Amino acid sequence: MKSNLKRFLRKNVIMPVVLLVVITILMKVTYDAVNDAERFYDLTGWLLQATLQSATPLILAALGGMYSEKSGIVNIGLEGMMLMGAFTAVAATYFFYDPWIGVLAAVLAGGLLGIVHAIITVKMKGNHIVSGTGIILFAGGFTTLMLEVIWNRKGMSEQVTALPNVNIPFLRDIPIIGVAFDNLSPIVYFTFVLVIVSWYVLYRTPFGLRLRAAGEDPSTLDAAGISVEKYRFIGVVISGLLAGLSGAYISISFGLPAFGKQMTGGRGFIALAALIFGNWSPFGVLGAGLFFGFLDTLQFFVGFVPAWAWVQGYSQFIQMLPFVLVVLALAGIRKSVPPKAIAVPYEKEVKA
Amino acid sequence: MNEDSLQDIGNQSDEPQKGLISKLRADVEKIRIKMVDSVEDAPGPIKSIVLAISNLLTWIFWKPVIWALFSVLLAVITSAVIMELAGYNSYVAFSALIIGALRQFDRVLFFATPLIFTGLSVAFVFKSGLFNIGAEGQLYMGSMAAAILGYLIPLPYGIHPLVCLATGAIAGALWGWLPGLLRAYRGAHEVVTTMMLSYTAILFTQWLAAGPLKELGEFQWNAQTTRILETAELPTIWGNYLHAGFLIAIVCVFVVAFILDRTVMGYEMRAVGLNEAAAETAGINPKKNMAMSLAIGGGLAGLAGASEVQGTLHRFYNQWSPGLGFDGITVAVLGNNNPFGCLLAAIFFGFLRAGGNAMHQQAHVPIEMVGVMQGLVVLFVAAPRVIQWMADQSLDYGKWFSVEKARPIQPIAFALSMVIALYGAYFSFSLLGEAQLGLMFIGISAVTSVLGIVAFFLLFARNSRGIIISLIMSICWFALAVIGMGAGVDIGFMILVGLIQSVLAVFSLLLVKGVGKSKGGDA
Repeated sequence: MKSNLKRFLRKNVIMPVVLLVVITILMKVTYDAVNDAERFYDLTGWLLQATLQSATPLILAALGGMYSEKSGIVNIGLEGMMLMGAFTAVAATYFFYDPWIGVLAAVLAGGLLGIVHAIITVKMKGNHIVSGTGIILFAGGFTTLMLEVIWNRKGMSEQVTALPNVNIPFLRDIPIIGVAFDNLSPIVYFTFVLVIVSWYVLYRTPFGLRLRAAGEDPSTLDAAGISVEKYRFIGVVISGLLAGLSGAYISISFGLPAFGKQMTGGRGFIALAALIFGNWSPFGVLGAGLFFGFLDTLQFFVGFVPAWAWVQGYSQFIQMLPFVLVVLALAGIRKSVPPKAIAVPYEKEVKA
Repeated sequence: MNEDSLQDIGNQSDEPQKGLISKLRADVEKIRIKMVDSVEDAPGPIKSIVLAISNLLTWIFWKPVIWALFSVLLAVITSAVIMELAGYNSYVAFSALIIGALRQFDRVLFFATPLIFTGLSVAFVFKSGLFNIGAEGQLYMGSMAAAILGYLIPLPYGIHPLVCLATGAIAGALWGWLPGLLRAYRGAHEVVTTMMLSYTAILFTQWLAAGPLKELGEFQWNAQTTRILETAELPTIWGNYLHAGFLIAIVCVFVVAFILDRTVMGYEMRAVGLNEAAAETAGINPKKNMAMSLAIGGGLAGLAGASEVQGTLHRFYNQWSPGLGFDGITVAVLGNNNPFGCLLAAIFFGFLRAGGNAMHQQAHVPIEMVGVMQGLVVLFVAAPRVIQWMADQSLDYGKWFSVEKARPIQPIAFALSMVIALYGAYFSFSLLGEAQLGLMFIGISAVTSVLGIVAFFLLFARNSRGIIISLIMSICWFALAVIGMGAGVDIGFMILVGLIQSVLAVFSLLLVKGVGKSKGGDA
């Protein structure tokens, strides 16, 4: 019992406590550097809000990757699916003047690439990594090509209507929280709902059990009379849908509402990192995504505090942290356990 | 378990026997055996040459070649369709591409040079059962090392380039060795670690180029280091572009082939790649070999970076590589992880790149089309069963005509439905441009076009569900015609397509009912 408690403490308490201490120190240092309560509140609120904003696409894509990897299919193509989603969102909004249709189209486009990946990896038993690479290349080329075809421009599309932000009454009057949680894109709030829903679906429903079984022990699932291929297919398609949504967030709900060439900028890979750092679990993904989002914001944040401007010369090292941390995590500083049958194609046994 | 997997490997190389093809294969095999027998007593060199040629006649050699060619063909067809849909003339584009590339063949080889290196890197690592996704990072490390050595240390002509290349290779090798060690001794999966370390390397070199090693003086848009000394440059050997890096790449192809096929190390690596547990039982140290293979792979990628810096760029630019490391994966995949295959695949991709410019100038197709083609090639190669499936289905379809001689109407009806479904998919996709007709119209045309493709493949597999889908498709056509009424769209044509399709569908449905359910292929 005692050892259980110890394990629980080690597993679930140490990291948050360390993070809390780090954040407290950071806030104290910030306060000393700014030396003005009003400005400090604003800055902290902005930091929180920007963290949420840059964490959202990572969390969404990583959740998608989780569905796919839990079912046993490696999805390196997240980056390509996000790019496709980002492009489709802008194109559909451009033609129909309604960003919500853009979001829907983006989700469908991501799902379509998910189906391609699923056909190649699940049905045709192709190599997961090769197929993912193909999807990244195809999406990168296709979106840039269509950018020129539709807008006849290089690099950046025309601006379209952005997804309206949600305003929550009464919230904005609270000092830090008001700045942090008010006036965000609806997709940000939806992401948090989705994390909880994903947890419930994966760990509390028969569907989730079967999906996980397809990734952990497909032959047992098959022996129970359930199609492994079907669940893997569904897992990959869900990952495509979520990656498409993540792309839509990046293009029409975050920053300028336009599509830029290769605009996802490696976020799909950071999402993969978040997935591994979050140990393939929804709340782990949430934590890792928020942390990586925070790191992403930090490099801009230091620019606001004049005393810290020198740090910007080293911003590459801050950007590097997610990748280095994942390598360290996989090397055993923190135990990351992937699903057992991941990347192993399942061949149904046939009578000889 | 080990025996099972070995058996699987054995089964894969033996195709299910199909009449004509198996006969052809048997004939070729007979010729090969005759060739081998006839040189039994011949002197050494002649014998080995004939044996090498006779190896070209084996199915093990031809199968990957045929698959690669088919994948390229499918990718070309698909990209032609994409070009037509985007409103370009695919014939003009492709002929411009081919002629443009042939006219400037030095550029083809120039573009191929780094791809040969990175392709070899990925292929070499793959032979030992690992996946090197991070060739990009190793390439950056190599190019940075070569650039630093190129401008810091003055050395005489002849020695300087070699020293720079060697340093680049060592830097890349170290960057590949790290994930190799982590994989071997800590179990960290190399797919993830190489990818993450690749981004780390890009950011690290970016910092070096923008910070401590920044070229002093004039303003720069993109961070860059000082130009390397002339002594460190690789000479240009053909035309304006092709530099001596290409020769080194060719040498590397032979060296890698030699290491893999003719040395103990290569043998051990291949053994680890085929079956790690069996190799360990046989006394091979898999950990050492894994780390070593990733280090060599990293060294090859580092050479790619170094030769690019010394050959054309002459300095390190921040983020100079347009994904050469990633393209290495595509090269290795298309080359079936064979060194010579990689050489050919790299030249093919170089051909596409070099022709891409001409295609852009003459047919105004954006150069990104080349990226699309590359992605499609990889997607088709990734799924060898797609081609297998298509070959099987077409053979069966052909048989269907000959078997049902008494009643060839049904296959003909299916074939006609297939053609019209495909054309319908194309036509309804082109309707997507009519955005002013509203969401309903666009939605239905999108559905129709997807249905058309699905129906085509189902009909191709002689699955009777395809008829139902083409029936649904014809209903979609009527719906489109109703919505598009009076909006300036050619509704008469839509109704015509819908009518033909529904009549064909009903007709073949009746035939299927009469004959009994035709053999349903698994779609």
